[in-house]
Amino acid sequence: MAVSGFEGFEKRLELHFSGDNPLGLRYLSIDDLQQVLDAVQCSIVSAAGNHSFDAYVLSESSLFLYPHKIILKTCGTTQLLRSIPSLLHHAADLGLRLHSCRYSRGSFIFPAAQPFPHTSFSDEVRFLDARLPPTLRFRKASVMPSATSPHSWHVYSAADDEFSVLPPCGPTIEVCMTELDRSLARRFHRRKGDDRSGDEAGAEMTELTGIGGINRRALVCGFAFDPCGYSMNGLDRDRYSTIHVTPEDGHSYASFECVGGGDMMDYLRKVVNVFRPVAVSVSVSGGGGDEGGVCSAVANALEPLGLSCRNRAAEDFPGAGTVTYQTFTARRK
Amino acid sequence: MGHHFSTPAAFAAEEVDSPILAIHSKNAWNDHWKSHKDSSKLMVIDFTASWCGPCRSIAPAVKAMAAKYTDVVFVKIDVDELSEVAQQWKVQTMPAFVLVKGGREVGRVVGAKKDELEKKIAQLRA
Repeated sequence: MAVSGFEGFEKRLELHFSGDNPLGLRYLSIDDLQQVLDAVQCSIVSAAGNHSFDAYVLSESSLFLYPHKIILKTCGTTQLLRSIPSLLHHAADLGLRLHSCRYSRGSFIFPAAQPFPHTSFSDEVRFLDARLPPTLRFRKASVMPSATSPHSWHVYSAADDEFSVLPPCGPTIEVCMTELDRSLARRFHRRKGDDRSGDEAGAEMTELTGIGGINRRALVCGFAFDPCGYSMNGLDRDRYSTIHVTPEDGHSYASFECVGGGDMMDYLRKVVNVFRPVAVSVSVSGGGGDEGGVCSAVANALEPLGLSCRNRAAEDFPGAGTVTYQTFTARRK
Repeated sequence: MGHHFSTPAAFAAEEVDSPILAIHSKNAWNDHWKSHKDSSKLMVIDFTASWCGPCRSIAPAVKAMAAKYTDVVFVKIDVDELSEVAQQWKVQTMPAFVLVKGGREVGRVVGAKKDELEKKIAQLRA
């Protein structure tokens, strides 16, 4: 196990707004957007948009901009929470009002390498509490543990209303995979002497690894980093999907996230087959009150792949609804 | 609270003094298409939307490419203004760059991927 290396586990921030401008956040100028990203220390690598939202692949993860919702997911040692003051300022300029904020992350593989305020969950919670407006009066922070491993799921949410409305796009699923199959992870390394652009090499990786087959309806923007690493954003009507891969031996990691309904378990199965990890964690939010049903559906998708469910937990969060958390590990052959 | 929601400034400025021809009507497009088929030049059709941030993010790079590759014709179409043309070319995600030669599509880049776009232009312009 490496003493230190690139941190794959992401920090994720989701903000919901309301306002009169139908374009909402999509009206942000590129300069203003870059200013927000400068605070986080990442930059735009590629981007695409459709009638519903804009999707940006960043140097360290992804950004999704809907008119009234922003999702920012960054890895490595980025200081994600530092985007908040700038984001709230620009949103206010656009006449938008903040309704809820949710911050979540797994457990860092290299926690000592994280800069403030990501030095601990309590530091992050204090930072969030201080920077969110007092109109978001319902707040909760919780660490959802997993009985058999050091991994946990950290969730903070703040909302101006205790009860959330079910999201129109459907629930969100966040999957974290570690100890990836080594020969599959090797497909995310660039070949020596390959001088193609990251976009071209990324498009090839998307097809060769089977990622392109997860949802054929989606337009996929894949990017291959040098010497290794891969990121993709998928756009399918109003639904985004995103995959990020840190393939290095010793601290390999891959994440998958998407929003939306009926095919979610099918995508989950396919993505686990792309990486064949030893350990997987799955968190579903906005799935309505039926946490038993959600956990069973996830377990039914993964158990046939040789993964056993080691724990399950569910909690309600203001503005985010029910959040489930399950961990799986591969059964010994 | 009143806000004047006009097209973001970056787009308006681009129309002045640009080697990129912005097409605003079906007639103008038909005329342009006719003249393209008679020439041997590569044409890059840049499908954009005023509400699409990624289109804005790559706009400066496209402008630079248009200035650099003077033997290539760059044309810009707004998918709301000319929605029929956008549908004809099956454009749903923006920006979309369709590369055409002799009346046929020879390449396409979907998304703000400037390295890939530049490489394709350099390869196909000969």
